[in-house]
Amino acid sequence: MSTKVAIIASNGGLFDAYKVFNIATASAATDAEVGIFFTFEGLNLIHKQAHQQLPLAEGKEHFAEGFKNANVPAIPELVSMAQELGVKIIACQMTMDVMNLTKEDFIDGIEVGGAVTFLDFAKDANITLSF
Amino acid sequence: MTIKVDKVLDAKGLACPMPIVKTKRAMDELISGQVVEVLSTDKGSLADMQGWTKNTGHQYLGTITEGDVLKHYIRKANPNELKEEMTYPHTVSNEELLQMVESNAEITIVDVREPAEYRFNRIPHAVSIPIGELENRMNELNTEQHIHVICHTGHRSDMACQMLADQGFKNVTNVKEGMSVWTGPTDKN
Repeated sequence: MSTKVAIIASNGGLFDAYKVFNIATASAATDAEVGIFFTFEGLNLIHKQAHQQLPLAEGKEHFAEGFKNANVPAIPELVSMAQELGVKIIACQMTMDVMNLTKEDFIDGIEVGGAVTFLDFAKDANITLSF
Repeated sequence: MTIKVDKVLDAKGLACPMPIVKTKRAMDELISGQVVEVLSTDKGSLADMQGWTKNTGHQYLGTITEGDVLKHYIRKANPNELKEEMTYPHTVSNEELLQMVESNAEITIVDVREPAEYRFNRIPHAVSIPIGELENRMNELNTEQHIHVICHTGHRSDMACQMLADQGFKNVTNVKEGMSVWTGPTDKN
């Protein structure tokens, strides 16, 4: 049986996005089954507009150049790659209600669910990560 | 030195995880047994390729460094290699072959794996004739010679033995375990 990777993304900066999507795409490319639960600020990472220009942490703005020099793919590119590789993206309904967001505010191809949706996926995961 | 491969993937200049993602995609387009050469300037790709093959079941053959470029060689796994029955009757174990090698017995070892597999791990003095070229290169061998045929797991060599026997080779033996579990001396490069 293949490896199962369950990720919780609860922060909304550019660094957070790379941590989440690099591990997710690498795992999926290694034949793992991957699910990411986006909650609180993590929802930024899949928000239609926000995920295209995620902020660098305060005082770390100079890393922007480093990202460019290292030829790191842009986040929207990584997100669509993750989706092509079959990564399951779940947005947290409760946070969406708090922030007054609907499914249409997010990129296509996501699922919406509560904590149990994620738990159900994660209960037999081999690797669980929280970013 | 260039190694004959079925596909070259240029992932130069790409950062993690792109070399792995592109390798996965390239692999999806290959058929089992084919070899891909992945060019990368990502130093982390050396460890990543090995970890990736370990987890996906593909066969990591080796890496050559040329300046800033790492050239990784990977062979697409064949899920049937472990299931197919071997049919050629004359076989020896790795252990028996090793004894012959150590006693300098008058034998010829023909390695029918892909050139990249041979390049990184082979028995000293083994002759490389990839199975796809065997039919056209049989004339390089003598029908009277005692020939031991080896591959990765004994399956390609099983087929090669049958091909040689059909063409009148009298003394052909399959090494039934193969290089995947060979513990004797090896050469590389």
